[in-house]
Amino acid sequence: MTQFITAVLTSLSSGAIYALMALALVLVWRSTRVINFAQAGQAVLTTYIGYTVIQRTGSYWLALLVAVVSGAILGAVIDRFFMRPIFKRIKSGPIVMIAPVVATLGLLGIIQAIIGFIWGLTNQSIQAPVSTDGFRVMGTVIAFSRYNLLVLIFVALAMLLLTILFQKTDIGLALRASAYSPEIAKLSGIKVDSVRTLGWAIAGASGGLAGMLYIPGYFLFPNAMDLLLVFGFVAAVIGGLESLFGAVVGAMILGFAINFATTYISAKLFFPTAFIVLVVVLLLKPGGLFGSKKSRSA
Amino acid sequence: MIKTTPTKKRLLLFIFFGWVLLILGDRVGDLELYQGSFVATYALAITSIILLTGYSGQLSLGHGALMAVGAYTGALSIFNAGLHPVIGLIISVFVAGIFGLILGLVVARLSGPYLAGTTLALAISLPTLANQFPILGGEEGIVFDVGVAPARFGDEFSQYKWFFWISALAALIMVWLVANLLSGRYGRTFRAMRDNPVAAQLSGINVGQLKVMAFALSSGVAGLSGGLLVMLISGVSPSAFPLSLSFAVLTGAVVTGLYNLKGVILGGLVLVAIPEIADSLVSRIGGSEGFTTTLPGFLVSALLILAVVFTPNGPGHLLKRHHHKKKV
Amino acid sequence: MKRASLASAVIAVGALVLSTLPAQAATPGVSATEIKLGISSPLTGSAGVAYGKVPGAMKAYFDYINANGGVNGRKIKLISRDDKYLPTLAATQTTNLILKDKVFALVGALGTATHSKAYKAAALAKNNVPDLFVNTGFSGFGDTTKYPTTFTVLPSYAMEAKIMSKFIKEKFTGQAVALIAQDDEFGIDGVNGFKAGGLTLASTTLYPQSSLTDARAKALLTGLSAIPGKPVLVLFGTTDVTAGILKAAESLDLVSKFTWIAGSVGGDANTLLALGVKATTMTGVVAASFFPDAKDKSDEYVSQFMKINEKYNTKGVTFDNTVLQGMNSAMLTVQALRAAGKNLTRAGLISAIESKGAKFAGAGLVPLNYSATSRVGYNGYWFGQLNATGELKPYGGTLAIFTTDSGAGAIEASTYKRPTMPKNGIPTNS
Repeated sequence: MTQFITAVLTSLSSGAIYALMALALVLVWRSTRVINFAQAGQAVLTTYIGYTVIQRTGSYWLALLVAVVSGAILGAVIDRFFMRPIFKRIKSGPIVMIAPVVATLGLLGIIQAIIGFIWGLTNQSIQAPVSTDGFRVMGTVIAFSRYNLLVLIFVALAMLLLTILFQKTDIGLALRASAYSPEIAKLSGIKVDSVRTLGWAIAGASGGLAGMLYIPGYFLFPNAMDLLLVFGFVAAVIGGLESLFGAVVGAMILGFAINFATTYISAKLFFPTAFIVLVVVLLLKPGGLFGSKKSRSA
Repeated sequence: MIKTTPTKKRLLLFIFFGWVLLILGDRVGDLELYQGSFVATYALAITSIILLTGYSGQLSLGHGALMAVGAYTGALSIFNAGLHPVIGLIISVFVAGIFGLILGLVVARLSGPYLAGTTLALAISLPTLANQFPILGGEEGIVFDVGVAPARFGDEFSQYKWFFWISALAALIMVWLVANLLSGRYGRTFRAMRDNPVAAQLSGINVGQLKVMAFALSSGVAGLSGGLLVMLISGVSPSAFPLSLSFAVLTGAVVTGLYNLKGVILGGLVLVAIPEIADSLVSRIGGSEGFTTTLPGFLVSALLILAVVFTPNGPGHLLKRHHHKKKV
Repeated sequence: MKRASLASAVIAVGALVLSTLPAQAATPGVSATEIKLGISSPLTGSAGVAYGKVPGAMKAYFDYINANGGVNGRKIKLISRDDKYLPTLAATQTTNLILKDKVFALVGALGTATHSKAYKAAALAKNNVPDLFVNTGFSGFGDTTKYPTTFTVLPSYAMEAKIMSKFIKEKFTGQAVALIAQDDEFGIDGVNGFKAGGLTLASTTLYPQSSLTDARAKALLTGLSAIPGKPVLVLFGTTDVTAGILKAAESLDLVSKFTWIAGSVGGDANTLLALGVKATTMTGVVAASFFPDAKDKSDEYVSQFMKINEKYNTKGVTFDNTVLQGMNSAMLTVQALRAAGKNLTRAGLISAIESKGAKFAGAGLVPLNYSATSRVGYNGYWFGQLNATGELKPYGGTLAIFTTDSGAGAIEASTYKRPTMPKNGIPTNS
């Protein structure tokens, strides 16, 4: 029984972590139709900045704020000076899909090299702001700590805030319109380019949040979020890249599947489970769980 | 007058090129031959990406997995079944192709990022599978030994030259086959499907079937590339096909032009040359340890970004545009 | 009489002339003033985090020796190439070291999957390139038919597991033993070693590399906590995974439930503490080593290497077991080069280690086993417990060293006494 409870709780925690990255990826996708692989690098970079803040001031919360803000700035800068020139040159064909992917991969490499150069390549760690000891429930310690709870709360909040932003505000409408039909959006007076930069800024901010929440449970080094990027992407695809709620659901499904498979069947199923879940979901719903049919004509 | 059809012209071109490589192979040192073998191998991998993405519009982020299938098949055929290396390589092509066929059927209804995500998940899972079955050799992997050059080539014929001959020849033959395929009816059908799937479907083209076939063909080529790659490192193991390989191959394809085969050799060269250039530059500049360790990675990424930004459709495209401008 | 003495004089002069002729023209990597050595190891990427310090540590020792006369008048230059722990890259980088950088010999090559591919790809056997003191405990590298020019230095993982079995059977009789190991050659070598050591494992978990997340660790520990008594938990993984498991145990308040044994690969206390493991958790963790602890300043090698690290290594690199190991290998390398004499050839280097290697000075507390028939370096371990500052102190207070082989050989108590260090850590052998 304890095994089961632990599996459920740890799945929640894993799912929350994957959701953090998935949200950032969906944000970029929804506002710009690009899969941003540099997200892993951006998030790590902002976490290093947060780490430096902690070194100087000792405050995790200040570091979190700085990380989120610098994430937003970094995201905006990358869109304005990097992605925009690329989009100007590529108009049609499968290259539209791929060139940004390759470009963001290159960007990831550059960011990781810069991090290595400035901060060195050894492991660093960031202390969690709240206790990582499991809660005591009826005498036994369970596999869920204040820290895990904190992450879950932040994920839920982020999802809620972002959904409100996209669905209920004018800016959100502008973001969605610019992504789906840039020409029509332009005709309605929306400054498509600026709106897109805003989308990247928001995604960058959420990436900054993701890094600061993820790293305390792990370690900080330039490649720290590479694996998370892959799982976050898979989770986002499972959920259908269109919906933020879908990203969280997809992440939870992935987290549960992996944890249960590795706990009850074999530890070796860690990676294959991701593939199997993805294929099963996509066979049933090619657009992901919450994706609409429209999304298929990428 | 000898009638020269495009097919004949192409054949002559390839034979000529092969002959040039042969002569070149005699003039350069072992290091260049080794690097040249990698160029050929990567050129093949890029060809497979062009087939899949450039021609049938399907994006794969996990071609390393397909290469791995070919590599393991080849290794098993040569080491476990004791077959001749050439047969081993041919088997790699077919087994990888069949794997691609099945994969293509599975992902038939997916497109864009959904397909990308699936191939990505495949790429990270496949190496783990190698550890599951003891016959696949676990972490140390299986030896892939093509043996030494036949005795009649003499003592001076180095192993690296032998590698070069095998990989260059295999690459030439495969690229020639693919080029023929793409210049014919299939090529036109693929291009039609890529540029306007709706219209293609209306004119009777079975888009679904074609996509699956593209997957199978692409995987076969990737399988050969994988087999050659592990020949060069004398063995296959799970860590020989990391995600970074899939990304590198994709990048090479983008940098040299996704839409036609003319740039594949250049693409292979880029993938081999850029890390080398970065390394040489770093050893010449020197500097602090942090600097020298991270600089090569930085340079490689920077050069790739520049290539993507300035020649997203490949340098060939750029030349064409220039040509047009001049005419006007 | 006169003719005999004239003849012997001619012969004597001739011998003198011939013996001073530097036959270096044919040997790559050796000039009148320099010896080039090469190392291919991970400097970037996830493995670079754990092993990135090795080349720097070796170079620091070589620079120290260069500042003190070098080897037979030549300075040592170490060329380091990054292989990111990838076999394809290791193959190309090692080939580059041989063909491009034209090094004389390789030192400290790292990783099993990486080096086994690199060895073949770079045709090291064919070119008789000495492959000194490889940084891996995979027992296969001691096989001279496959790796004729390779000398191991680290005791193999199989040896470690065998000696660990004996230790556990003696000190923790009656307790169940569970193993958590990385699913690759090093973990599996360990599993085999436990079998050879006659230890029955109550539970074996093999996890793919990079898959042991916090969630996984917690799930595993919860499962294992159901084992009655105080089970022995052996961690055969890298330091980041060992730290992760220990931290998960802290979170679940399970630290005192188990007796923790950290394998050599993941047992570096300094790194564990730096990764956030609490000092209270570290106290009492059992670990094996064949060196003195890097914090033990009373050890003459440790204090000498610390000085060298301070003066010659990149600023800011903390002295830990990885640095200690790297410098030790460098010291063995210098002695090998010295033993090979002024007339340096690849074959000469190999036979020098075969004939004189067992007597080389080094920080190891277990003997070196190089001979005409053995390429195995250190072959033993001693067990200790970590204290709150992360220092490894002998278990039970007295140092007990055991030696064995990687196969079915017996595990023996060793009476080896490490000879005194050459003055200032500068070898004087020849």
